[in-house]
Amino acid sequence: MGKLSKGQLVEAAFWLVLVAIFFAYSFEFNNEIEIYKYGATLWPRTILVLIALAAIGQLLDQRKNGNVASSNTMAAAHEDSAQDTELNSLGWYFNTFILLSLPFIYMTLPDLLVKQMAIPEEGVAKLKIICAAVLLIAYLAIGWRNHVGAILALPIFFAALMQDMGFYALAPVFIIGIMILMGERRVSRMALIMPLLYGILLAFFVSLLYVGLPTGNISPFYEFGSWMVKTFQ
Amino acid sequence: MIAETFNNFLGGTAALFGDPMGVLIFFGGVVGGMLFGAIPGVSMLTLAAILLPFTAHLSAEHGIMLFSVIYCTGVYGGAITAILFNIPGAPENAPTAFDGYPMTLKGEAGKAVGAAVMCSAIGGTVSCIVMMLATAAIADWAISAFGPPEIFALVFFGLAVAASVGAKSFWKGWLSIMAGLMIAVIGLDPVGGIERYNFDMPYLAAGIHFIPTILGFFAVSEIFVQAEKKATGSFKAPKLSVDFPTFKELWMHKIAVIRSIFIGFFCGILPGIGATLAAFMGYNEAARWSKHRAEFGTGRIEGVISSETANNAATGAAMIPLLALGLPGGALTAMMVGVFQMHDMEPGPLVFINSPDLVWVVFAAMFFANLSILLVGFLEAKTIVNLLRIPFQYLAPMILCLATVGAYAVRGLTIDVIVMFVAGVAGFFLRRSGYSVAGIVLGLILGKIGEQTFAQAMQMLHFEFSGFLGRPIAFGLLIAGFITIFASVYGAFFKKKPQLTES
Repeated sequence: MGKLSKGQLVEAAFWLVLVAIFFAYSFEFNNEIEIYKYGATLWPRTILVLIALAAIGQLLDQRKNGNVASSNTMAAAHEDSAQDTELNSLGWYFNTFILLSLPFIYMTLPDLLVKQMAIPEEGVAKLKIICAAVLLIAYLAIGWRNHVGAILALPIFFAALMQDMGFYALAPVFIIGIMILMGERRVSRMALIMPLLYGILLAFFVSLLYVGLPTGNISPFYEFGSWMVKTFQ
Repeated sequence: MIAETFNNFLGGTAALFGDPMGVLIFFGGVVGGMLFGAIPGVSMLTLAAILLPFTAHLSAEHGIMLFSVIYCTGVYGGAITAILFNIPGAPENAPTAFDGYPMTLKGEAGKAVGAAVMCSAIGGTVSCIVMMLATAAIADWAISAFGPPEIFALVFFGLAVAASVGAKSFWKGWLSIMAGLMIAVIGLDPVGGIERYNFDMPYLAAGIHFIPTILGFFAVSEIFVQAEKKATGSFKAPKLSVDFPTFKELWMHKIAVIRSIFIGFFCGILPGIGATLAAFMGYNEAARWSKHRAEFGTGRIEGVISSETANNAATGAAMIPLLALGLPGGALTAMMVGVFQMHDMEPGPLVFINSPDLVWVVFAAMFFANLSILLVGFLEAKTIVNLLRIPFQYLAPMILCLATVGAYAVRGLTIDVIVMFVAGVAGFFLRRSGYSVAGIVLGLILGKIGEQTFAQAMQMLHFEFSGFLGRPIAFGLLIAGFITIFASVYGAFFKKKPQLTES
């Protein structure tokens, strides 16, 4: 009989907590449907029970069989499994969690401040730019020594800013950011590749297929995005 | 009957190639479908959605023919990105990535792409021939024998089998599928239209769209996995190769091809199931019957062969419910209904009576589109394999930007882009823990069909579960699904396992 590791216990706890939260929330929509006596909750609750059973089954299997736990199968996911590196430490997970939460802070904080401080309409754009700048500095400070966490957070940051600042203004910075995080250090290469990728994207999607990408909604990003659309379409 | 079919086919071929505009549209569809299927971040659905408004300017014959050609070649095109970048062009190419991408990492990209070309062409062509010969008879049988209870049972069986694919263990496979089913629950309930798990967010009221989710779980999480490997120094650039498989290598897997043609055709004919379940079942059955089962997922050519044969075999079959009953089997066939409607037509039995020319031009075009995969596909594959020469630090931003455009273009919502990247992060952590992102995606796609058909089945059976006993096909599929699950659970607890050695 093997001894359960901390990771295995955390994994089982994650699923069971998730089941508990979703099961509790299912009472919010536990309404009757006239033509269907099982209502809207039978299906999700059955899935939740099955998740709980599978999580407990996995735990029992791991307890019984240790490292060789569980039966089948084909090995597609094996190569992806985490290696024993510092990327498994609690500190790394905490650091990454902070990095990942930065974009969501941007999505909620400015609106919250606007409501609380009764900021006028014309000040909202400035507030959003200041928030983005502060969070970007925080991102660089925290992500400096956590490359993988920084790579995970950068695209979400890019997407969170896109609504306000537009694809056209952010894409060049995003392309360069990903290249740096992937290990590129040669400025000449970056100066060549970035305009090339950006140009191909705009030529194919904006000029050829007329795909409408977000232009942003705060100045000066909106003006820049609109100018790019006019130029390329 | 064969002589009549052959005459009709010749008539359709003459009509297709006797019309210069038809020829132009045919080749445009062949090349466009392959290209859009093969470009990371966009798919044949993107092309079809862009073209849909323009088909109003074409004749009904040309419009439907264009879409059917894009369907055949696009399903093949998606295999290329699945093999080269682990980015399935469409959900039906997901199982192709299980073995195709590991083959690329081993320097066997050419063999994998070559197998995909050959098997897509074989599966699609045979499916087309059967479609032409047996549309009426098969449609009659499947539609009358397969009601909601049978479709639900088939979904259940497919999910039970799929739980054993891609994940590190049966439990993780099952949890992956359940997670996908739970994501599918978010949004409106299919019977009463009640909002579920929207957490007071208007965006979630409409449910999570599957295209950003698929892009996130496959394309984005793959970039993150490779980035982690770069950070830890374990990154290996994929090796370039253009050595296609020999005829002997393919001949060794003839049984897998034949089995996948049957599975693909059978799944394709059922409305709402289509090529995705076909590809997963084709792959699963190949793994189940293979002597090298444990090697599936590590780069077996048999995995690519079975998945690609099955999904292309489903394309011909998917036209049967569409043309015979007006029931679309998936997103692209649903767009084809739109093309019919733009020309004041309704797909269904009357099309065979009122517009036989249209039907046979479409059949002939599909047949030749599948054959052209052999020629154009090989030429295209030779060119696209060279994308692997691009260093990963340049390829990664390109794929992420393409995925961004692909996710945004679906509904014009930036929140879809956020969902995609969040799915990418979730996929990264789930893959590190041995879960299967393909299982999650399958659960997400089949979840809605499963719940809807379950509700319809229970209403049909007056809420009596014993009603399944009176429907032999549904009962048989449910029993087969339960046996699959119990065998895995039994194996987990009671079978002796080899102990891992230190090496």
